[in-house]
Parts: sequence; structure tokens; C-alpha cells
Amino acid sequence: MNGRKPFVLYTAMAFGYAFLYLPIVAVIAYSFNKSRMVTVWGGFSLKWYGELAGNTQILDAAQRSLLIAALTATLAVCLGTLAGLALARFGRFSGRNLLSLLTSAPLVMPEVMLGLSALLLFVSLEQLVGWPERRGLTTITIAHVTFCICYVTVIVRSRLVQMDHSVEEAAMDLGARPWKVFFVITLPLIAPALLAGWLLAFTLSLDDLVVSSFTSGPGASTLPMVIYSKVKLGVTPEINALATLVILFVAAGVTIAGWMLHRQGKATG
Amino acid sequence: MPPARLPALALLALALAACGGGKAPDAASPADPAAAQQGPRQLNIYNWSDYVAEDTIARFEKETGIKVVYDVYDSNEMLEAKLLAGSSGYDVVFPSARPFAQRHILANLYLPLDRAKLPGWGNLDPAVLAALEDVDPGNRHLVPYMWGTTGIGYNVAKVRERLGADFPIDSWNLIFDPAVAAKLGDCGIAVLDDEQEGFGAALIYLGRDPNGVGGGEIEAAAELFGKVRPFIRYFHSSKYIDDLANGEICVAMGYNGDVLQARDRASEAANGVEVAYVIPKEGALRWIDSAAIPTDAPHAANALVFLEFLLRPDVIAPISDYVSYASANLAAKPLVDESVRNDPGIYPAPEVLARLVDPKKLPENESRARVRAWTSIKSGS
Repeated sequence: MNGRKPFVLYTAMAFGYAFLYLPIVAVIAYSFNKSRMVTVWGGFSLKWYGELAGNTQILDAAQRSLLIAALTATLAVCLGTLAGLALARFGRFSGRNLLSLLTSAPLVMPEVMLGLSALLLFVSLEQLVGWPERRGLTTITIAHVTFCICYVTVIVRSRLVQMDHSVEEAAMDLGARPWKVFFVITLPLIAPALLAGWLLAFTLSLDDLVVSSFTSGPGASTLPMVIYSKVKLGVTPEINALATLVILFVAAGVTIAGWMLHRQGKATG
Repeated sequence: MPPARLPALALLALALAACGGGKAPDAASPADPAAAQQGPRQLNIYNWSDYVAEDTIARFEKETGIKVVYDVYDSNEMLEAKLLAGSSGYDVVFPSARPFAQRHILANLYLPLDRAKLPGWGNLDPAVLAALEDVDPGNRHLVPYMWGTTGIGYNVAKVRERLGADFPIDSWNLIFDPAVAAKLGDCGIAVLDDEQEGFGAALIYLGRDPNGVGGGEIEAAAELFGKVRPFIRYFHSSKYIDDLANGEICVAMGYNGDVLQARDRASEAANGVEVAYVIPKEGALRWIDSAAIPTDAPHAANALVFLEFLLRPDVIAPISDYVSYASANLAAKPLVDESVRNDPGIYPAPEVLARLVDPKKLPENESRARVRAWTSIKSGS
């Protein structure tokens, strides 16, 4: 009986991994496909990587998406940490429940509504105060930050709640000012949560199609927008080549982040 | 698939813009040509993906010194949402004439064209201009761009194998005659998921007016679909391109450009599948895409320069070659590559041309009734 159990477990694990990663493997494999058809194998070739290198439309959009994602993630982590800190550490201040509700509402709000309301906000702002002068990178980033903040807030808040409060109290007993406590004690302790929040926000922003479509303007098409617009005429393996590069990039990022978290975990015990 | 929600939200945007956004077009005075010349000379274009030739934009920039910002969209709905919200920032957009540009003109979203700045206007096909008359009275706002038809794409070998070598493949009966469709059902029939196209084709096959209202058109078309519904594998508006090319399906109601794309993909993949396109002898619906300048375009003067550039036969002909659609530019036809020019699926013969129908805007309650009927046709109830 005992001998059979690992077999069942391993089978389940194999299925699980296959379910998660086979599609990705297929995307990578077909990026080396010679044929133009995404689903028919026509021999090994690197030509789609060559085409991709010459496709400024896609490369510009990819660069733009990465920039927006990095900005969004950084801003969302800053603001989300403040919100999380307020909710977890500031006791019962007036409006606390409202803040808690408002920071988590976008989690369950349909993206479409977020996008449309952001669009209407930017248009009326433009008419009333002349800013933003036109929609573009700035407006996309602002819209992304609004929905990424809540994810960061949730992560940071739960980390703070789990954390032993006495460490901070001890520091204060020993005469540290609140700001010093925050930067020397709290921040290093919640660093893994910040990193996780940053990565999550980065991914969400990189991934977003609907909100970006609504809040973009001339010259600000993001990568998902460009890819989706190509669907009308069929996706070329160029997109597979790009996806492969993105997967490599993400895998590298996750590996580095995991390694850092691992080291942190060791250091703090 | 999140983007499927876009049409619904375009409607929402429409409703919202009807209340607040209506001001935008009036408030923004048509861009002053002198002012446009002062700043860095720029032009913001919003177009379908892959809808100009590879060198069109570079050529325009080189000839005029105007810097082009070129963005692409995936659906008329997305374009509509941006235009209705106001101050989209775009100078030239490419809406489909029906029903989108028609709605947009009624909502005052486009600038009237200054014909004095468009000396190439005379190159346009008078027949296409006349066809747009009901959408854009006097052709004041729209420059017709490309046009095409909705016909039948089919897998030559498989259809011949099932129907015999002598069976004439030139009719909607491939889809609508139960006796014929029954023979093709097992190898796959696909129909566009679009009530205008679906009802249009069915009514044309029945010899009725696809724009007819109140004469039992909906019931007749629904009954026709009911008989062949078991043989239709799916209703979808783009899946058939790859499926035709792969040999997954035999017959598809589809747009000519898409079917030709499937044909090219199959021949490129050398998988032994031969795809062909035919405009059925009973007739077919025609669509026309157009170019227009939004009312609040920041660089309207440059937009006119671009439209005039597109009216030049030596510019539009290579675009036709690249996208495999007929342009509305009559003077460009001799310059179009022979393989495109002589393809009856792209440039139909005059007698076929005479049987093409332009779908008209239907009364609100009629189009709602069609949408409802279409849903039950698809579900097969």
C-alpha cells in the first residue's frame, strides 16, 4: 500500500505540471516553427526571431509596456504600503472601515468599469483643468496604479498583521523615532511582502488589456493591445517568439526574486 | 475572453457620451491649419492592424516631413468608444461605413472634408461613392478606403469529393440547401457570428431583399437556418480562417479578405489544402471601410494631406496588393498587381458587382428583433 502512494502522487503532480506548463512549452516550440501557421509544424527556423527584431511596432509596444509596468508597480507599492500600514498599525481611526472597503473594492470591480470610469475621469479633467493634456503613458500608468494598489495593500496588511508587534515596540522603548522604526525595523521585515506586491503589480499591469485600451492615446499602444489587434488577421509566430522572450524574462525575474526571498528567510530565521 | 465585452461597453460609453460627451465636438473648434503648421508637424493615425502596406507610412513621412504616430485597434467598437469619449487625439481613423461611420456622422464626430485640399478625389469610384450616399449624404465626411464582400470560402478537394466533380460551386445552396449541406456537414460548415451577415445571406438565397422590413423576413430566414442548423458546426467570425487553412472545415461563410488569407496560409504551409472563394450567384452583402477626420483632431490640416496621399493611385495600389482588398480608387486598379486585380473574389466582374447589396440601417425595433432571432438560431431552438 505504502509503495503505491508515491506513484499516485507523482502522477497527480505530473498532470498538474502538464496542465500548467504544456501550453507554455507549445508556445516556445512553435516560436521555432518555419511555417506561418501557428498550428502546423513546418520545420525548425529562427526566422520569427529575426522578423521580431525588425518589427518596431511590437518592440516599441513591449518597451512601453515594461516601462508602464515598472512605474505602476513602484508607485503601487509605495501607496499600497502606506495604506496597508494605516490599516494594520494605526488603531481605530475614523474612516478606517471606509478606507478598508475602498482599497479592496477594485479587487472585485469588473475591469471594464474601471477602464470606462478612468476614461471619463481623464476626459472631464482635460475639459475642466486642461490636464492630462491628452491620454498616453501617464494616464495608463495612473489607471493601472489605481487597481494595483489594492493588491499591494492586501499583501502588506496581512504581512503586518502576522508580524510580531513587540519588535517595533522594543525599538521605540529604546528611543527610536517612529520614522526610524519604520525604516530600520518595519520595512526590512515586510520586504518580502513588498517584493511580492511589486511583482504582482508588475504582472497585472503588463497583462492588462481592457483598462489600457480605454486610457491610452496616440502613440501609447501597449503590448497586449498590439497583439490583440493582430488577431483580426491571425497571429503570426512572431508573437510566439516574443512570448518566449517574455517567458525567459519572467522566469529569470521570478528565480532572482525567489532566491532573494530564500536568503531573507534564512537570515531572519 | 475579456475583449468580447467590448461591444457592450461601447454601448455604455455611447449612453454616457450622449449625456456629457456631446459637448466635446462643439467645444473643440476645428483645428486651425495655421496653428497646426507651427508645432512639430505631426499626425496621429488610428487604424486596423495591418491595413496599410509595409512602407506606406515611411513613404508619407519622407515625402511630407510630417511625423506619424500610428496606432492600431481590433474592433470598430473600440474606435467608437474612443471617439465618443471625445478628444481621442487622433487625426485620421478608419471606421467601417455601416453601421459605425453612419452613427458617427449622425453624432457629429467627423469634420466635413475640404475637397479643395483633395484634388485626388476624382480617382474614386463613383459607384462606391454612390453606395455611401445613404450613410454620408453628399459624401461630405468619408473617403471610401477598401471594400469587400461576404461570400463562401471552401476547401476545393473536400467539397468536390462530396458533391461530385460537376456540381456547380457558385451558390449559397452550399450552406442553405439541406440536401447539399447534409453532405458537407460532417466535414464542417462555419457561419459568421453576425446577425447582419447571417440574415443577409439567408434572405439573398431566398430571393428576398436583405434590407426588407416587416414582410416576415425574420421568420423566413429563421426557418431556413432551422433546416440546416444540424449541419452547421459553429458560428464564429474569425476562427474559420485557420480552420479553412488547416482543412478542419469544408465550407465557411466569410469575408473575402479572410478567406484569401486562409488560402495563402494553406499554400504557404504546403499542407495540400486548397482554399477558394466565391461570390454566390444569388448575390452577397458588400462592406466598405472608410477614412475620416474626427471633429476634434489636433492636426486636421495634416490629416487632409494624408488623405490626399491615400487618394494617389501609386500609394493605394500597393496597399491593395498587401491587404488583398479592392480599393475604392478606380484610377489605381491598373497599377494593382495582376494576381489581385484579376482575382474575381477581390475585383468581381461587372455582372457580379451588380448583384452586391449594401446593408441599410434598419429601424431600431427590427434590428433588436433580428438580434433576438439570431440568438435562438445559433442555439438551435
